Amino acid sequence: MRYAKHVTNSLLLVFSLMLPIAVFAAEQPEIVCIQCHSTMPGKIGEPVKLWRGSIHAENGIACNACHGGDPADAANAMSPARGFLGAPKEKAIPDFCGRCHVGVRADYLASAHGQALGMGGPTCVTCHGNHQVLKASLELINEKSCSRCHSFERARVIKSAMQETEAMIVAIDARIKAYKAKGTDTDKMEKGLFAVRNRFHTLFHNVDVELVKKESMQIQAELKKIEAVLQGLDDSQHTRKIAGAVAVAGALLAALFLHLFRKTYE
Amino acid sequence: MALLKRLIDWIDVRIGARELAQKQLGDYLLPRNINVWYSMGSILLFIFVLQVVTGILLLIYYVPDADKAFKSVTYIMNDVPFGWLIRMCHAVGSNMMVLVLLLHMFSVLFMGSYKGPRELNWVTGFILLTLVQGISLTGYLLPWSQLSFWATTVATNSANAIPVIGPHLVEFLRGGKLVGPPTLGRFFALHVAVIPLTIAALVGLHLFLLERIGVSTPPFGLKETKNPWQGKGFEYEGHPGGIPFFPNYALQDLTSISIYLACFLGVVFFDPYLFFPKDAFLPANPFVTPAHIKPEWYFLANYQTLKIFPNELIGLTVQGAAMTFLALLPFIDRGPEKHPLKRPVFMACTIGGILLWIGLTVWGHYS
Repeated sequence: MRYAKHVTNSLLLVFSLMLPIAVFAAEQPEIVCIQCHSTMPGKIGEPVKLWRGSIHAENGIACNACHGGDPADAANAMSPARGFLGAPKEKAIPDFCGRCHVGVRADYLASAHGQALGMGGPTCVTCHGNHQVLKASLELINEKSCSRCHSFERARVIKSAMQETEAMIVAIDARIKAYKAKGTDTDKMEKGLFAVRNRFHTLFHNVDVELVKKESMQIQAELKKIEAVLQGLDDSQHTRKIAGAVAVAGALLAALFLHLFRKTYE
Repeated sequence: MALLKRLIDWIDVRIGARELAQKQLGDYLLPRNINVWYSMGSILLFIFVLQVVTGILLLIYYVPDADKAFKSVTYIMNDVPFGWLIRMCHAVGSNMMVLVLLLHMFSVLFMGSYKGPRELNWVTGFILLTLVQGISLTGYLLPWSQLSFWATTVATNSANAIPVIGPHLVEFLRGGKLVGPPTLGRFFALHVAVIPLTIAALVGLHLFLLERIGVSTPPFGLKETKNPWQGKGFEYEGHPGGIPFFPNYALQDLTSISIYLACFLGVVFFDPYLFFPKDAFLPANPFVTPAHIKPEWYFLANYQTLKIFPNELIGLTVQGAAMTFLALLPFIDRGPEKHPLKRPVFMACTIGGILLWIGLTVWGHYS
């Protein structure tokens, strides 16, 4: 039976790859969780709408990735036997999210926020939202959000200490992508930026202002090394353009000379 | 210089090189009203040689293996000294070759140079056009990028529409059910050996026919613009009192090649990415289908034609009919008149056809 299913799946894969145009047009079939919940009213249907605008939806992370269960079988979709977990209790939320975001969980638990877990402190969903999960960025640190629990002053200092680094990361990322789109081997730079960005993200859950400032300086030093490589590429592109201008001018001069030379034979 | 003269003398006394050169170059006379469009052939020869040279240089580092091809091209672009320049010249050159080939064919069409006794010149030229398209298509796959992989998947998939043999033809082209390592092997062999050798042979035949039949007289600036050939027997079209090929027209050829080179280098150095969509620099991934896969600009009209008709078979049939009509044009248009302004029906059809092709190309680009 399992073999038959495997063969069927393989044939479907082969068939879908043989018809690329049809594949472009067809949309991915929705999982049963979304099929049922999207038609339901109120609190039961609401998560689907919220999820559609989340970073999880953008990256193809669907309901079952967090809540478990069988997304292909409507009858057993919410069966504990198929790994359905349901919604976690408040204290269990960091562990729930931390199954994927392992490092972030550790950073959070070590922070003042994490140490206040279960004592009125925020959990992951307090800032990042549940279902409409927001992408981790400095935008999440804002007066409206932080003021729900405490004054914004300290958070403002931390945010401003991180903003310059964030801007550098965004700008370097854009420049790397632009070079990648031109066939430049950006692998080393991408890996370097990935490591630096991860290191920077560990600061997102830290509320020690001095530590954030010190770490940000070190991260910026690492980013400047990547910028230096990008500057080298910029210089090389500039040199190529000068060489190109000389080559084009040379060809045009040759054309003019040959044209005039030909005239002497008329 | 003395050494060079002695070398030439040495060769001359053995094979009569000076006499041969004088006969083939200096005494080879061309019509007095010859124009710049006649140098398109020389530009094409220059491009072909440049493609062969850059292709050989790329072969030194390129690895025709599905696991290594993309990395080897990335290595050429980033680590080989001037590798980026060689690759860009090769890629831009292939596009320019199609463009100049089309201009060459349009000039032949408008000046009626395809008419008898030059039917074979036209037919060999037409086959060269299809071979150049073929060499471009096969070369497209070699970098093994997302663009290569999916464009080849779509292109080879079109053959599925042919009744009965379609699926077998697709499998034959791909070397399997899907585009994969065997397809790369096949396309590589076609791209670097079979098609270039066939092109070289056909260029030789094309030039032999030109030499044997003579250069056609352009229909401009003359009172009599009808085709002088009556079809009663072989007759070399000489041009007594014409201008010698060497040095006069050879200098015109070199002028045209220099102007072409300026345009070509302008694209290579300032905007080579004109011919590279962003998927061209991502490694092939059979499991991730890019959102928009488009063929190269000279296949966009074909691509759009396939989309217009309700099924691909009709689209392929229409394209086949149009190509056959164009290939056999000298046998269909048998009128003696060569001047385009004295052939209003022909002019209307040709300009209409070109506008239709441009329209379909633009439509295909934005569709």
